[in-house]
Amino acid sequence: MTVAAYGAWICLLSPLAAAGLITLAGGRLSRRGSGYLASLACFVAFGGALTTFISLLGRSGSQRTAVSTAWTWISGGSYRSGFEVMIDPLSVFMMLVVAGVGALIVAYSIGYMDGDDEERRYFAYMSLFVFSMLLLVQGGNLLLLLAGWGMVGLSSYLLIGFWHDRPSAIAAAKKAFVMNAIGDATMALAFFLLIKKAGSLDFGILGGEYSSTVANLVALGLLGGAVAKSAQLPLQTWLPDAMEGPTPVSALIHAATMVTAGVYLIVRTHAIFEQAPKVADLAAGLGAGTLLLAGLIALVQVDIKRVIAYSTMSQIGYMFLGVGLGAYANGMFHLMTHAFFKALLFMAAGIVIHALAAEQDIRKMGGLRRLMPRTYLAFLIGSLALVGIFPFAGFFSKDSILAAAMDHGAYGYILWVAGLAGTFLTGLYTFRLLFLVFWGEPSPFVREHFHALKPDVPGVSLAAPVAVLAVLSVIGGWIQWAPLWHPVETWLQTVAEPTVSPTSWQEAVSSILALLLGLGGISLAFLYYGARRLAVPRFAFPQRVLEHKFYFDELYDALFYRPAVWSAKTLHRWIEGPLISDSARELGDDARDLGGLVSHLQTGLLRTYALAIASSVAVLAIVFVAVK
Amino acid sequence: MMGPGTAWYLSVAGFLFAVGSLGVLLRRNPLIVLLSLEIMLNGANLALITFARHLDNGDGQIFALAVMAVAASEVVVGLGLIVALNRKRVPLDVDRLSSLRG
Repeated sequence: MTVAAYGAWICLLSPLAAAGLITLAGGRLSRRGSGYLASLACFVAFGGALTTFISLLGRSGSQRTAVSTAWTWISGGSYRSGFEVMIDPLSVFMMLVVAGVGALIVAYSIGYMDGDDEERRYFAYMSLFVFSMLLLVQGGNLLLLLAGWGMVGLSSYLLIGFWHDRPSAIAAAKKAFVMNAIGDATMALAFFLLIKKAGSLDFGILGGEYSSTVANLVALGLLGGAVAKSAQLPLQTWLPDAMEGPTPVSALIHAATMVTAGVYLIVRTHAIFEQAPKVADLAAGLGAGTLLLAGLIALVQVDIKRVIAYSTMSQIGYMFLGVGLGAYANGMFHLMTHAFFKALLFMAAGIVIHALAAEQDIRKMGGLRRLMPRTYLAFLIGSLALVGIFPFAGFFSKDSILAAAMDHGAYGYILWVAGLAGTFLTGLYTFRLLFLVFWGEPSPFVREHFHALKPDVPGVSLAAPVAVLAVLSVIGGWIQWAPLWHPVETWLQTVAEPTVSPTSWQEAVSSILALLLGLGGISLAFLYYGARRLAVPRFAFPQRVLEHKFYFDELYDALFYRPAVWSAKTLHRWIEGPLISDSARELGDDARDLGGLVSHLQTGLLRTYALAIASSVAVLAIVFVAVK
Repeated sequence: MMGPGTAWYLSVAGFLFAVGSLGVLLRRNPLIVLLSLEIMLNGANLALITFARHLDNGDGQIFALAVMAVAASEVVVGLGLIVALNRKRVPLDVDRLSSLRG
């Protein structure tokens, strides 16, 4: 094996080893020890990813793709799938993001979960989650990708429902699992079709020639999976409810793992989307729709984590917009910067929640700027990066997605306008949150409950990852500034060649407009919530619609849940009850009656039995002789 | 080959078997029932040995030896049960040992 392959396998297996060790060690490992072990494993994974990255850097562009097979996993007929990892620029890029940001979040958890009753279980799940995501991005064929895909769904279910004594957490976990299962199913169907047509699930077959029907169906199936995992329209409803999990879990789901999987999937299988341009356009359209919808809903949310959750949906919408249009490198670049600043925002929000005795309602907050100035600074950096203000990370990544939209004809311009409107909304809802939480006078609730971080182990473990991510959110975007320099695009070129190439003036126009609109959103938020010069306008009807999240939950309730319950009840009343239950009971009764009749043959007298045997033998003997 | 023919031996074997089965069916004392069972087994043994000689094949004799071994063990168990019944002052009458009636 090459050095790159060693790095990749270490990266993949060390979180799994940590999960196994924590599970097996049980009480022999101290609670904090399990946290240290999980963090160590994730940092080792990051080291492995870094090794692979450096050894790939030393190779020329065409030499950077390799598959390392451990053993043949499944073989049946002519079909064969190995247990193998893919080592190419795209998987290494994702490995770095997942393991790097994941490690910081797990380290942060040591402080956040300190004193929880079930810390060991938590860290075992977290390690499993990181492993699942690494399997997803490293899997060397579509089947392993699907395995990782399913395991990410499982570990998110376990973590969202981590506080299993809260009914709302259990409901949220189930909702996330079911929504994701829909996507898993459509993906599996697409894979069946691929096996039928190409006889294999290697990534290489995606570039083959397919009829447009097949390409469209496969792309649709993959898009279904991507949409479910990345919480895009129409399967987005699970994401805000997933906030029931502990805050680091939200950060992990939103920043490093899970929701970015859909974007990765589209880039990984871009060859099939390029053969099905209608479906790719649909992906971009869904992204644009989601980014507007989520931005609008975020305006009225009052839970600090839910506002950030909706902003994630909105930002993933941008990534879908980018990769749907064929701007793969831009989408992946935004994925990376988003991982930095979204993890930062969640973890800063986690510190706020921690300092306020687990309160998440922003109406009770206020004036935290003076009480926790460093957290305020981190949150401010994260917010500026999210809105895309120069020179923070989001500026470089988001604007090039918008520029790519301009290069896609009339449809592209519609998406471009949606994206720009989204920038304005982003500025508005992000700074509404910031001003409400940190500005103004401390509310009575804050004065009563506030307690600052102490410089002990939990405090440091909370503060240090936030500091690292704050730095990354500032400088993380500088590695690519289209069109001046674009190392990310060059790095990913061998895997996914972009199909759009915006000109410099398109880049400039998009950047300037997005920056201005973002600033406009911030100013409006300042007038309403910061300086409070203007009264916040009240519109009863739109507000009610937004507070009900455009009635998606109610719609799905009416469309799927209630008909299912109704039909189950009806079938139980008219079919199962009279036909199945009763007939089973009748059968049982009849069998017992028959047994009662037969039991009279048992006299208990030895000689009766002996006579029965003897006469039977005599009859048999006569029959035997007669037949002979 | 000297002595009576095979048919005679088989007749004796059949007679022994019939006497034994009548004893099992008609007698009520478990001791006698066991004794009758032994007679049945001996009838079967005689038939086995007869055929062994008739066919000039040793297998039947080996079977007969096996049957004797089984019969001996069976008597041990049977007599043990009868002694146990007697100790509990249960009447030694197979018709009254009918608690397995359905």
